Amino acid sequence: MCQRRTGVRAGSGGSMAADEDISLLVIVVDVNPVWWGQQILKESTFTLSKCMDAVLVMGNSHLVMSRNNRLAMIASHSQESRFLYPGKQWKTGSFAESSESSSAESSWSGSTDGKYELLAFGNDIVTEEIKDLMAKTEVRAHLTETLLAGSLAKALCYIHKVNKELDASHELKSRILVIQAAEDSAAQYMNVMNIIFAAQKQNILIDACVLDSESGLLQQAADITGGLYLKIPQLLALTQYLLWVFLPDPEQRSQLVLPPHVHVDYRAACFCHRNLIEIGYVCSVCLSIFCNFSPICTTCETAFRIALPPVLKAKKKKPRHPTLNYLAN
Amino acid sequence: MATSSEEVLLIVKKVRHKKQDGALYLMAERVAWTPEGKDRFVISHMYADIRCQKISPEGKAKVQLQLILHTGDTTIFHFTNENIANAPAKDRDAAKDLLQQLLPKFKKKANKELEEKNRMLQEDPVLFQLYKDLVVSQVISAEEFWANRLTGNSMDNSVSNNKQDIGISAAFLADIRPQTDGCNGLRYNLTSDIIESIFRTYPAVKQKYAENVPHDMTEKEFWTRFFQSHYFHRDRINAGSKDLFSECARIDEKGLKTLVSQGVNNPLVDLTSLEDKSLGEGYGSSSAQSSSKSNKESSNAAIIRRFNHHSAMVLAAVLRKQEMHNDQNSENSSTDGNSRDSDFFQPPVKKVKLQEAIEYEDLGEKNSKKTVALNLKKADRYFHGPTPVQSQHYASSQDIINSVHCIRQEMANYNPRLTQVLSSSVASSALTDLSPGGVLMQGGTSQAINQMVPSDVQMELKHLHVAVAELLRHFWSCFPINTPFLEEKVGKMMNNLERFQMTKLRPFREKLQKLYISTNTRLDPESRCPLHKDFNVILQHSSTFMVTTLKTYSSLVI
Repeated sequence: MCQRRTGVRAGSGGSMAADEDISLLVIVVDVNPVWWGQQILKESTFTLSKCMDAVLVMGNSHLVMSRNNRLAMIASHSQESRFLYPGKQWKTGSFAESSESSSAESSWSGSTDGKYELLAFGNDIVTEEIKDLMAKTEVRAHLTETLLAGSLAKALCYIHKVNKELDASHELKSRILVIQAAEDSAAQYMNVMNIIFAAQKQNILIDACVLDSESGLLQQAADITGGLYLKIPQLLALTQYLLWVFLPDPEQRSQLVLPPHVHVDYRAACFCHRNLIEIGYVCSVCLSIFCNFSPICTTCETAFRIALPPVLKAKKKKPRHPTLNYLAN
Repeated sequence: MATSSEEVLLIVKKVRHKKQDGALYLMAERVAWTPEGKDRFVISHMYADIRCQKISPEGKAKVQLQLILHTGDTTIFHFTNENIANAPAKDRDAAKDLLQQLLPKFKKKANKELEEKNRMLQEDPVLFQLYKDLVVSQVISAEEFWANRLTGNSMDNSVSNNKQDIGISAAFLADIRPQTDGCNGLRYNLTSDIIESIFRTYPAVKQKYAENVPHDMTEKEFWTRFFQSHYFHRDRINAGSKDLFSECARIDEKGLKTLVSQGVNNPLVDLTSLEDKSLGEGYGSSSAQSSSKSNKESSNAAIIRRFNHHSAMVLAAVLRKQEMHNDQNSENSSTDGNSRDSDFFQPPVKKVKLQEAIEYEDLGEKNSKKTVALNLKKADRYFHGPTPVQSQHYASSQDIINSVHCIRQEMANYNPRLTQVLSSSVASSALTDLSPGGVLMQGGTSQAINQMVPSDVQMELKHLHVAVAELLRHFWSCFPINTPFLEEKVGKMMNNLERFQMTKLRPFREKLQKLYISTNTRLDPESRCPLHKDFNVILQHSSTFMVTTLKTYSSLVI
């Protein structure tokens, strides 16, 4: 077990979560087949198997931290977003047998290594699902991007559903952990932004753990919702980063020394070229942003008249005193 | 030289100053003296500078007038007019009286401004600090400093300084409780408050008082008579005109009648209907029977009338005072609680009152403002985010096929091995990354500058920043340069900025460098010490303010 530098002790500083609070962690794993396949082709030691192991350890740790903790896992594929955990037939916390239970459940032989039953069962379910998901991967040339927006939306809906199912005595605190491998998809920008603002309204944190290239979207998500963004330098140590940075609850994070906030690039893009600009012109009618001034806004076709300062021509007659030219160079 | 526009209020000839004959001139704003034969003023003092005047005592041979200025200087004028008797004294007295009238006017004005400034400086510590930084160290002059600040504030304060007057307690008459004074006598205790209340409520009594006291009778007598009169007592039957206060009673009666006739300017309120009329009997057509006047009823009516009158007078007394204030401002004076508008405004008031009674706001229709619809030609522009800076990694179709194949293969054989997820070496290297000073924890030290810099240095930096902002505000307010005055001001501000840089910023920077960066022999910005780096940044920011300003100015000047 790793040692914390500042230990979190019961009763020390901050507010310990009440016994009735339920903490729900939803892990969204990016299982983009193209990216992970290329990891294999590059002969990297860090493959999807290792990543799934790390994610399972994280999930188990979260469940073990408290009896009131709950977990959900979503795999974000390029074709679909699938719930890895809880499975479709899984009724929360119970090994409910229904007549139509799938073979996996009824034939489950129980934990083989003395592990806590819940964890063993959960791990098995996840394994089955991920295998099934990846086996059904099809080759589609134009669909190589991860469906991050869909996965996040499913996560939000799941959280909402759990919230509705709780009775009044319990309070739900939830957060989403996104483990992203591939790059941002520009086409999903608007959807992801909407999700971010919806999460902010619902007080749901979005943490981001990025494996390969920096993601502007996830940086914004973490910044707006109050979560943490981290790009990992060593992929093999993913487990360590997950447990150190992302396992603690938001209330406990204030007591810990964690990586500081990243500077987020919030520049807007101009409507004409889609370049990121720092200073621009905004139409006061439709609020569209341009990088150059034009007298007519191309979006709403409003004509603008800006009163330029008067240009005084130098008098050609005998010079009395020099007149000032107001146009700035 | 006396300017022709100055108004000369008084000329006194034959006034000596320092053994020289001359004449004293009292003008609208100053006092001046010129020696005989010359036409230049040798001595001239503004009234605002004069603190007070002194005269030599009566009976002394020399008739003198002394002016003492705020600075402590004294000027003595000797009035000599030998020809006419008592002329010097008269001259001197005339001058003294005029000065007595004029001096207070000017004194207040000067003081008021100073007071205002002092108050502002005391109330706002930031302003005070700014004043100290800029004016005391002579970066800008005091007039420029106060130029924009005084105008707005003085107006508001004079209005808010009006104290609220205390109203009259309606029960003041009841406070005068008589005490039995032994045998058959009553003792009334009158305090000055009660007397004032009586005077304010019943101006007729005040008038009588003014007429009779102290010429005809003493105060005590007046009040004795007042209390003895039937005017005061309950039964107000006019018992002969001998009584001093019967006239008051008559005036009161008249007053009450006018009040009732005025009525309230509210068409829905009818003051004169004193009976409960229901529509029951005769459906309103039968006239009300006038009740027989019994003595008892009339005395009741009298009491009620007196009460009403008393209340009306109490209210009127307060409003009378307001009326005196507002007399200059408005023609429509309000008396007795009625807004007595001039006839011109009569109909709308009635209409407004009727409308108020009929309509309920929340039952009416909601009038939402008519808005203009937004007409967008290219709405799809809003739906796309910024294009990514780095080009997306392009995977050829062969790559895709290969990748998918590989991953499918791999995951088909996936078996979680959770006990072999992490090796200790990898874990400890990750931990070093996450410890302070590690790769991932770089940004954290910038927060500590708050604690590393002592608070007095922070305060000084803040003051400097505020001072620079103030100077820049003066500078930028000169643009666009329309008049030669502004041109001049811009030049002055340039000089001020440069002077500020010399006198304040450079020493501050040097002080910081000496105190905090002395340990580092290599003073290059790339040095590891984050404190040094940050200080440099801070100092640079403050001087870039100035540098960009100077550059802009020089580019604009022709």
